[in-house]
Amino acid sequence: MSRFFCALLHTYIDAFLLSAAPDLPILERRNWLIHLHYIRKDYETCKAIIKEQLHETQGMCEYAVYVQALIMRLEGKIQQSLELFQSCAILNPKSSDNLKQVARSLFLLGKHKAAIEVYNEAARLNQKDWEISHNLGVCYIYTKDFKSAEEQLNLALQLNKHDLTYMMLGKIHLLQGDTEKAIDVYKSAVEFSPENTELLTTLGLLYMQLGKYQKAFEHLGNSLTYDPNNFKAILAAGSMMQTHGDYDVAMNKYRVAAYSVPESPPLWNNIGMCFFGKKKYVAAISCLKRANYLSPFDWKILYNLGLVHLTMQQYASAFLLLQIYPSDLRLLLFTLTNLDDADNGRRSHEQAVLLDESNPLVNLNFAVFLYNQGDKKAALLQLQEMERKVNAQVENNSNTDFDPELVEMAQKLGTALQAGENLYWSKLGKDSKTSQRSSSSKPSSSQQPLGTNQALGQAMSSAAGYSKSMQITAEPEADVSSAPSPPTVTPGEPEDEDEETAEPQKVARLAFSMRF
Amino acid sequence: MSSGSQELKDTSVASSKWLDAHYDPVANLYTFSSCIALSDLHGDGENKLVVGDLGTGVCNMKLKVYRGTGLLSESTLLDLPTGLVSFLMDLHEPRTPAIAVASGPFIYVYKNLRPYFKFTLPSLEVNPLEQDVWSQAKEDMIDPMTLKEMLEGLRDKAEIPLSVRSLRFLMLEPQEMENFVLLHKEQPIRRQTVITCIGTLKKNMADEDAVSCLVIGTENGDVYILDPEAFTILYKMSLPSTPTLMDVTGQFDVEFRITVACRNGNIYILRRDSPKPKYCIELSSHPVALVRMGKNVVVGCTHETLHGYTQKGKKLWTAYLPAPVTTMALMDLPTRGFQAVLVGLANCEVHMYRDKNLVSSIKTPDVVTSICFGRYGREDGTLIMTTKGGGLIVKILKRTAVFDDRDSAPGPPIAQSIRLNVPKKTKLYVDQTLRERENAVAMHRAFQMDLSRLRLAAARAYVKALESSLTPMSASLTEPLKMNAVVQGLGPSFKLTLNIQNTAACRPVMNLAISFLYDENLYSMRTAFFKIPLLVPGLNYPIDTFVECLSDKGISDIIKVFVLREGKSAPLLTAHINMPVSEGLALN
Repeated sequence: MSRFFCALLHTYIDAFLLSAAPDLPILERRNWLIHLHYIRKDYETCKAIIKEQLHETQGMCEYAVYVQALIMRLEGKIQQSLELFQSCAILNPKSSDNLKQVARSLFLLGKHKAAIEVYNEAARLNQKDWEISHNLGVCYIYTKDFKSAEEQLNLALQLNKHDLTYMMLGKIHLLQGDTEKAIDVYKSAVEFSPENTELLTTLGLLYMQLGKYQKAFEHLGNSLTYDPNNFKAILAAGSMMQTHGDYDVAMNKYRVAAYSVPESPPLWNNIGMCFFGKKKYVAAISCLKRANYLSPFDWKILYNLGLVHLTMQQYASAFLLLQIYPSDLRLLLFTLTNLDDADNGRRSHEQAVLLDESNPLVNLNFAVFLYNQGDKKAALLQLQEMERKVNAQVENNSNTDFDPELVEMAQKLGTALQAGENLYWSKLGKDSKTSQRSSSSKPSSSQQPLGTNQALGQAMSSAAGYSKSMQITAEPEADVSSAPSPPTVTPGEPEDEDEETAEPQKVARLAFSMRF
Repeated sequence: MSSGSQELKDTSVASSKWLDAHYDPVANLYTFSSCIALSDLHGDGENKLVVGDLGTGVCNMKLKVYRGTGLLSESTLLDLPTGLVSFLMDLHEPRTPAIAVASGPFIYVYKNLRPYFKFTLPSLEVNPLEQDVWSQAKEDMIDPMTLKEMLEGLRDKAEIPLSVRSLRFLMLEPQEMENFVLLHKEQPIRRQTVITCIGTLKKNMADEDAVSCLVIGTENGDVYILDPEAFTILYKMSLPSTPTLMDVTGQFDVEFRITVACRNGNIYILRRDSPKPKYCIELSSHPVALVRMGKNVVVGCTHETLHGYTQKGKKLWTAYLPAPVTTMALMDLPTRGFQAVLVGLANCEVHMYRDKNLVSSIKTPDVVTSICFGRYGREDGTLIMTTKGGGLIVKILKRTAVFDDRDSAPGPPIAQSIRLNVPKKTKLYVDQTLRERENAVAMHRAFQMDLSRLRLAAARAYVKALESSLTPMSASLTEPLKMNAVVQGLGPSFKLTLNIQNTAACRPVMNLAISFLYDENLYSMRTAFFKIPLLVPGLNYPIDTFVECLSDKGISDIIKVFVLREGKSAPLLTAHINMPVSEGLALN
């Protein structure tokens, strides 16, 4: 084609020399054809036409250079495209489009400050362009200037509403840790374009972080109506279904997700916990092991795997899994008690006491453990430590609503160790008498270990079945906030943890009371 | 599985909605939807297909007319056709429509397939300064170099861009300038633009066979409406960007609406009473094709989406497509009251949408680049498509074909019924589980025991290494040294480089020596012992030596390097060098 063109050019030149008044070809005469091929993504033909056109005009055809640069950028040759856009800007310094593209290329090269400068220059040429404001906002996000970013994005929204701008604005609020504001932004975004599944999913996840499950489910459900294959929404909605024990429906959803994203660790973790909830332990272990294979250092998966092994009474395996990341020492302690491992048990208890500053239960557990080991002196120390914590709590926030079981156990231990009368519990003695009486009817006051492991396992599983699904949902949230996802950083985490640890606490305590 | 088979059935039903009338894979057509029209050229009640063929893209441009399955006539075009429309230009009997072909700055009007009229776009305003400069050049008041400088100054500052002549002049080499000025100075300066899209607008009646005006969009962002008989400009409007696609509705004398998609990715809606756009739709990606369906505008975008907008630019719906859009056309069957949008996709399919609902789809043998639906021959529902490879496909809609509006919600996705691939566990696994259940405590203790042993063994080995200075890092406080070794060469000669560094903060180390321990049957070294100079802290001292491998049996051994202090028997540092196998043979 191009060879033919050369011939044509020669005839043109000949015509120049011979005839008196040759018609000069118009520079822009092929622009429409270039554009037509470009938007149809027929880049090969497009490049051929551009080459001819540039040859004919000796690089003066601005639009041809412009499209060539666009194609180059699509091909990943960003530096070259930047140079071409710059030459476009020289050919036509009045066009804000050229400057916009120069800035865009700079942005893609990671030169955000330079990009901001060029965008500002473009904004001077064209005041009312949402794209300039939007991109300026994005650049400011990368330079961590959130205030200017917010300003520019709001300006962009005033000029013209686009889903992308809403997304970015929400992201700024999330980066600043202001979930409420982010929700407001996403709410107005959803109003503007009610069928955008990404917006719906993000909003749902944010509601979930705040614990507004009803609203979260509503938005996630909407998102799934418009796009039944939305992976994030499936995972989040599925985990909520799991929370309500709706394992079959959750499984149905997960099947769709597993088809599109078969190698997602959180997905297989959730599927595993679904099987766990349905008491199909072998399948649960299979799925969790796959999840663990896909993401070997995810403590949530290890934790869940440990939990399932615990339920299966595979204490040795459970210990190995739980000790890798002792997120919840109570479970580990329970395992160790079953393994008769006094040394590791004592170490874990010490660790637990170190980690938890305020919870008196930890000290009580340690005291009971020490008592069972026959170390009465250390047990007394722990009991006093617990006493101190309880008194501190009473003083601080008058939260005297302690679990009657805890009170009872403390009293029993107190008498066994002859701790004296100055304990807080003796003052409470009269109030808690009823509970004491009710429990004293149980034959558990003997010092022999009582209770079968089976009963414990069941208690564990019911506790875990409830609690586990909570852990999982944090996964997509971490993606949304795009925090570099160590689990402790995600904003929704602490809350989930509370929910989840509430139950195992009880379980762990039960275990010790049996031995008492 | 059941839904899969249902899908299969659906496509077979869909394909049976059309009769394959004609398929010529080598019709050699390179064209776009804007260059295709169906028209009753001879007034005999039989519609012909008129195609503006772009030829090779450089030459061989043709105006082709098809009748039935055969080529009726072919005439050469001078330049690439941008758009082609058929329109009635007067009320003379017989009512035969004319063909207007836009190419470059011209519109060629054909009547009865004979050239009838050539319309040229009015030339644009020329910068008066530029005019001035050239008139000075004409009177030889300035030489070409001054002319060049002045024009360059104009190019950078002026509001109105320069003419082609000035731009061309600026590209020239200095020695060519003289000739160029001589050749061109007598001609008046003109600045021309080109046509980018063309459409028709009924003059004053809404009838099918009413007289129509031509509507053209130009490269510099103007829209002109031309009188059908005199080809004078009736109305001029301007846009902020270059128009690429155009849809016109209404009547010129009553009220009209021109929907224009522009190169900046926006769609503008022009009305009769204002020369500026009335509404603007900002799209998030470039529009590829634009079709008006009733009162709504349907736009196919490069992001594989199809959007529906109202006349006033309010977004109604979005449909996501499986592949990029190549072209679109309206499918209008007024006799059945059926309207749909045909969307050609890059995955060799043509989808038919009613609003956002996919009604039916057609598989094509190649990527479709242009679609035209209408009356061809005497058949009302004919679908004409050309493909990327130059093929021509003609399909006729069956009279029995029914398009039922399926609900857009497709129900649960197929993936939901696919079984999860949960890995199976073996009998061995179950047995091991049982064993663990029974002997958990014993297993745990054994494990803990082994773990402790392992730790003990590791600790012992570490202590031993530290005590006998077997490590390449010196632990002594007086001589903190670091060493690493590099072996170069293929053999039998190797070069051994030892990098020694004094890691102390300020104290130099003196009186050191290096010795090697190796199997003398296997290796030989010129010097197996040498002294090290004073080591200045922080600097890296490379020490080279050569090792000869004596064996040709392809075996290798370890060479031990000791860093010694004078007067002390225990080494400060030890390094074990795993020698590579000698790949070459010794010459002697």
